[in-house]
Amino acid sequence: MIIPIGPVHPALKEPLRLKLHTIGERVIDAEIDYGYVYRGIEKIMEGKTWQKSVYLAERVCGICSYIQTQTFTETFEKIAGEEVPLRAQFLRVITNELDRIQSHLLANSTYFKTIEHETLFMYMLSMREMIMDAIELLTGNRVHMAWNVVGGVRLDAKEVHLKSIVDILDKFESQYPKYPQMFENGPLLGLRSKEVGVMSKEDAIKARAAGPIARASQVIGDLRIDKPVYRDHFDFKVIWRDEGDNFARNMNRFDEVTESIKIIRQAIENLPEGNIRKKIDIPAGYADNRNEAPRGEVAYMIETNGNLIKNISIRTPSIMNIDACVKYMFKDVATVADALATYASVDPCIACTERVVIVDEKSGKTCEFDGIWNVKSVDLK
Amino acid sequence: MLDTLKSIIRKSSIHMCLLNTGGCNGCDIEIIALLSPRYDLEQYGIYFHNNPREADVILVTGPVAEQWKENLERVYSKIPNPKIVIAVGACCLSGHLYDQKGSSVYPPLDKFIPVDASVPGCPPRPSEILQTILTVGPNAVAAKGRQKD
Repeated sequence: MIIPIGPVHPALKEPLRLKLHTIGERVIDAEIDYGYVYRGIEKIMEGKTWQKSVYLAERVCGICSYIQTQTFTETFEKIAGEEVPLRAQFLRVITNELDRIQSHLLANSTYFKTIEHETLFMYMLSMREMIMDAIELLTGNRVHMAWNVVGGVRLDAKEVHLKSIVDILDKFESQYPKYPQMFENGPLLGLRSKEVGVMSKEDAIKARAAGPIARASQVIGDLRIDKPVYRDHFDFKVIWRDEGDNFARNMNRFDEVTESIKIIRQAIENLPEGNIRKKIDIPAGYADNRNEAPRGEVAYMIETNGNLIKNISIRTPSIMNIDACVKYMFKDVATVADALATYASVDPCIACTERVVIVDEKSGKTCEFDGIWNVKSVDLK
Repeated sequence: MLDTLKSIIRKSSIHMCLLNTGGCNGCDIEIIALLSPRYDLEQYGIYFHNNPREADVILVTGPVAEQWKENLERVYSKIPNPKIVIAVGACCLSGHLYDQKGSSVYPPLDKFIPVDASVPGCPPRPSEILQTILTVGPNAVAAKGRQKD
């Protein structure tokens, strides 16, 4: 039996079509349809200056909008071969980590909503509002911060603002630790999430999963430890777990929030004096740049002629994570409700591409669709 | 008598559906933020679920992407009367940044379905969205219901 879910569905916040192939309620396989939010951002960016494109880069995704602009501007700085002032780098770190916290809290709240645990859902959202206040204090906006420019950041942070951010973090930390404990020790929450949607380490590598989803399956990789500013000035550890199930993915995000708070505190304490922006002349050239977004690795590849963008390609992590979810985590999930919870646990943020998997329902095997010219390879009875 | 009763009840029980037609999620997460204890949508009797077949108010975000050109009308026809459409965000109104050469979006929204109210902003603050729903929602749901009967 095929159960279609979406594109408009109570469980989904963003349009995407899932087709679950089930025997009874046991999910044997799934198909996925993207393409409901395709806007052609990369095409619009071509032939524009960075001043115009940086707004578009921000609007690739609303939840992790900050990291998109940071990666975009860092790519131009890489083409010019210059480094921004240290104060600007620290301010970028603070904003990046604040954005990571709110994204992780939102992802966890969506998961709790999907498994119908309204209490934790509300707690998560109320904690998130505090962080949104901190973001608004620092940058002036809640969602699209418009914080990065090529050569630094747009505004300087005043001492008062940093102090109130520390106050907000104090309040946050005094309340926060009980929620991971609630999730870890709650017997019903454990039943609903432990050993559901398991992805092994090998599968995670095969599917190129990224970010907390891969780290929950023992693939230990965090691009932040490769970044010079993080490596030299901050002391933090990469969170990873070995269960690979829904519980591990959510706990991984819970623990990363604590690490992010640690980084923000260090950044505010050691914030160096100096300029926040410097003039950078951009020559013609090509560069690619990677960063750790809340969901994993985001990469920008930009070719410019010194003024206009000639060619740009953006790679976002959600696409690999959703594919990993559909291909490996949905295998042998006991019920459709658990399948939806698994889908919510990978923190999906709908990107734009289209893929096809063909399933032979009798044997329960999948085969790749090679394109319409190779249709004979598929038994289409 | 029955109509009056119906309109009174409808005022304090509004079901809402969110329709993302290709935006960047920014407006969507501000609508999700409405559910948080700080704004608390449900104290006004507004219940948020994503089912168009039960909804009174649909919140549409995003410029209309290629796939939604035909599907918008289909979704709209599934909503029972009275139906209120609120366009949230600048994308719905003008296409915002996406409506440029090379894109595949078809704004504005009111080319496809009738729009009752709109909230400009990229993204609008949760309080603004809430204010719009409360201004348009209850009375319009009651009034439109009466017209239909």
